[in-house]
Amino acid sequence: MIRMFHVQVTYPNRVAALQDINLHIRKGEFVFLVGPTGAGKSTLLKLVYRGIVPTKGQVIVDGVNVARLKPRYVPYLRRNIGIVFQDFKLLYDRTVYENISFGLKAIGATNSEIRQQVKKVLNLVGLEHKKKTTPHLLSGGEQQKLCIARAIVNEPMILLTDEPTGNLDPETSWEIMQLLLHINLRGTTIIMASHDKLMVDRARKRVIRLEQGRIVEDLPKGIY
Amino acid sequence: MIFENIGFYLREALLSFKRNPLMYLAAIISITAIFIIIGLFLLISLNFNLFLKNLESQLEIIVYLEDNISESEVNDLKKSITSLEGAKEVKFVSKEEAFQRLVKDLGDQKEIFSLLEKNPLPASLEIKVKDPKMIEPMVKQIEKFKNINIEEVEYGAGIVERWLDFTGIFRVVGISILLLLLFASVLIISNILRITVYARREEIEIMSLVGASSWFIRWPFIVEGLLQGVISALISILVLYKFYFWMVDKIHEAIPFLPLVVEKRELLPLGLLLILLGGVAGFLGSVFLVGRYINA
Repeated sequence: MIRMFHVQVTYPNRVAALQDINLHIRKGEFVFLVGPTGAGKSTLLKLVYRGIVPTKGQVIVDGVNVARLKPRYVPYLRRNIGIVFQDFKLLYDRTVYENISFGLKAIGATNSEIRQQVKKVLNLVGLEHKKKTTPHLLSGGEQQKLCIARAIVNEPMILLTDEPTGNLDPETSWEIMQLLLHINLRGTTIIMASHDKLMVDRARKRVIRLEQGRIVEDLPKGIY
Repeated sequence: MIFENIGFYLREALLSFKRNPLMYLAAIISITAIFIIIGLFLLISLNFNLFLKNLESQLEIIVYLEDNISESEVNDLKKSITSLEGAKEVKFVSKEEAFQRLVKDLGDQKEIFSLLEKNPLPASLEIKVKDPKMIEPMVKQIEKFKNINIEEVEYGAGIVERWLDFTGIFRVVGISILLLLLFASVLIISNILRITVYARREEIEIMSLVGASSWFIRWPFIVEGLLQGVISALISILVLYKFYFWMVDKIHEAIPFLPLVVEKRELLPLGLLLILLGGVAGFLGSVFLVGRYINA
């Protein structure tokens, strides 16, 4: 599903954020990306959805060479990738329902498809009863669930999550984790950047450790 | 794609007006102010142009005729001048008529004529031209007829040249100022739109991240920019219209016969120009400004 060959990313006026990254993530895998702040976790996620292009090397997502993708095809790549951001990136002047439907509308879904899909996904994350509230009235955990709902509403093959449990209490974090594991069980490939030792250790999934822009460890059933 | 989703784009544009009315109000007021300035300039130019045209139409060639010229000779001459290229109107002024005009012009001092034994003024042909540039070549042509009892051809030599120089400079300066104003207004309008686009950069970013095509992201903003431009143009036209006709009344009270453009038909293109300008500025501004937040 995702392959990287000798990938290097150098930000302007900075040292390399990623160096010589080689990895292979199969369809349906659940992968944790761990490592200290600044190790390159977010950069690696950005490579997958073409938030950045590699300075060197190749990134292949679902058979497509992302680095060589023309800008006008980028939207089609992204329709297959759900993204959950650390800082949520919700629209606070729209309702929960609108935050989710917004993305579907943007990719040209019909109104009845939208109604159906949004209802389904709200049920899945358990926010059906809050669909008419605006995000700032939601708790942190609920906002995170909303982000996940938005990311998976068009049933992407890949879900990227950047510190989804970063600011949540352990109980809520585990709830989110359960939700992600459930989504993974339905066949979605998930990459989750995390600092959350408790979550990583409890989930017993593949763990890729980054340090100073390099992969230093890649264990099939790893711990933090 | 655009027609399929036109309802969505319009709704999005209207929603964003509703969510942030103050920002859009400020934008519309600022753009309106620019359009009023451009409109005022255009109105002044339009009237100045009319004023120049009026003066221009008073430029003429006068052919003074000798006293012994016969009526048939006058008619022949009149015919051949009328057939010259550029002649608009040829009018015969008899000795008698010329005298009456002078008497009228002198008014109170007409007693001096009692000293004269006979009318000293010559008969003449007054020639109006289509274009002041035609005056000199025409004069040269007329001078060729000199064997037939023409006393003198007069056309305000020097004045015509200066006149042409002056109107030429006026037109160049006027067009330069207009271009400068248009350029400035495009810059200012795009800066105003930049603020409204910047306020919604997160929305653009999110749309881009969920895989919306760049035109799908742009259209609501384009509709919004178009609306802002056109609404501002309409308001400025309304303000200019009221102000202009109030001003025309005031000026006519003070100087009754000053020629001013009052025909609504002649003012219409000016209004259309402003609407077009508003639409184009809003459209282009949005297209370019939104682009920089896409694929961020």
